[in-house]
Amino acid sequence: MDQYFKTVYAIVWKDFVTELKTRELFSSMFIFATLVILIFIFSINLSVVDAREVGPGILWAAFIFSGTLGLNRSFMLEKENDCLQGLMLTPADRTAIFFGKMLSNFVFLTIMEIFILPLFMVFFNIDLLPHLGPLLLVVFLGTVGFCVLGTLLSSLSAHLKNREVMLPLLLYPLLVPVVIGSVRMTGQILAGKELGDMSQWIGLILCFDIIFTGAAIMTIDHILEE
Amino acid sequence: MDETSQPPSPDVAVKAVGLRKSFGWLEALRGVSFELKKGEFLAVFGPNGAGKTTLLKILSTLTRPTAGSAWVAGYDATKGDAELRKEIGVISHASSIYGDLTAFENMVFYARMYGVRDPETRAVEVVDEVGLKARLHDRAATFSRGMLQRLTIARAVIHNPSVLFLDEPYTGLDQHAAKSLTEQLAFLHTEKRALILTTHDIDRGLDTCDKAAIQVAGKFVRMDSIDEIDRKNFENLYLKTVRENS
Repeated sequence: MDQYFKTVYAIVWKDFVTELKTRELFSSMFIFATLVILIFIFSINLSVVDAREVGPGILWAAFIFSGTLGLNRSFMLEKENDCLQGLMLTPADRTAIFFGKMLSNFVFLTIMEIFILPLFMVFFNIDLLPHLGPLLLVVFLGTVGFCVLGTLLSSLSAHLKNREVMLPLLLYPLLVPVVIGSVRMTGQILAGKELGDMSQWIGLILCFDIIFTGAAIMTIDHILEE
Repeated sequence: MDETSQPPSPDVAVKAVGLRKSFGWLEALRGVSFELKKGEFLAVFGPNGAGKTTLLKILSTLTRPTAGSAWVAGYDATKGDAELRKEIGVISHASSIYGDLTAFENMVFYARMYGVRDPETRAVEVVDEVGLKARLHDRAATFSRGMLQRLTIARAVIHNPSVLFLDEPYTGLDQHAAKSLTEQLAFLHTEKRALILTTHDIDRGLDTCDKAAIQVAGKFVRMDSIDEIDRKNFENLYLKTVRENS
């Protein structure tokens, strides 16, 4: 078990060191998410439309689209110089490799989200601070769901020639429950509702996270094998 | 228990019995059988498409055979056992080295993946062994092809494997780098370690090996000890064998 966590740590460490040197992933995700929000800001008349109504959808669109950039990059790193083969030759448990990549994606996306939330607050003129606790919980649950499914599918599409196109095509339809749940909950939180009123949505996202984590554990061995 | 399901004796490092591999209608391997003892070095020569890489991929658990059995370091290679992967190192023309990381960081990463004790010390040690200590903290992307191949060797032996597979390691190397690789292989060829090298470079292959096999169209057509080989005429023999069996 000790070696299992060491493997997860090794992969997260490697991805972090790479990112600290290149800064490719964070900068591209952050700029893309900012652009998505700006495009919507310029296309919506906020004096007519209630920002609390449209804001959650725009916020999650920014998270999901920019997160997809990160997922594409994540397994691209492993394909360069056939590093994925190098990983497959190690005695490391395949699920540990998966969780390492998933954790890296989760942390990178969460950092980006932490930077995007204040921008969202400023652009949409919504005070998030009174709702910060519940909002962070929703962002956490939604991001875990996105990263679990996204990492699984990006490992699958890593073997495909047109992986940049295939990943969103595979990911977005399956991600619908998480996106709907996260958007609805974010909207309700901004409307001042309590988390207790959203137990169905929380249950839906939790079920999604658990089901796809189980699916990843069961299938990752076959997916990573060529 | 038939012959194919029996594990080999402890002095055997690699044993393949009737290995077959098909990709749809294409038969990449058509019944490869051989045995290699600990400390032996086998060079496998063969034209493109002979199935050399497929053979090494099966032995290194990267792919499973359609039929037949294979044992490496006492483990069944057809089961993809993690214990087996602790015993093998693989060097191919793809380096599996992260270009954005330094030589040191790459080695520390792989040492951790293999569960090597004290990864940092081992990383420095193994980079020193391949003569790259001066470039320890340089990004791998700045390395020449020859230096990258030496770093690939360091990656492959970081966990001190008992069996080493080398798939066309001379590809893309200049004369100096190829000579340096031959020296490295001689260094890696110890009493306890078995090596299998696939190559088109007959002279370099014969320089280093104890046994030589010719693989054509998915089969080992012949396998001889280096003492039985007439080195002067081996190239002609190779070309004739390939022509007759293609």
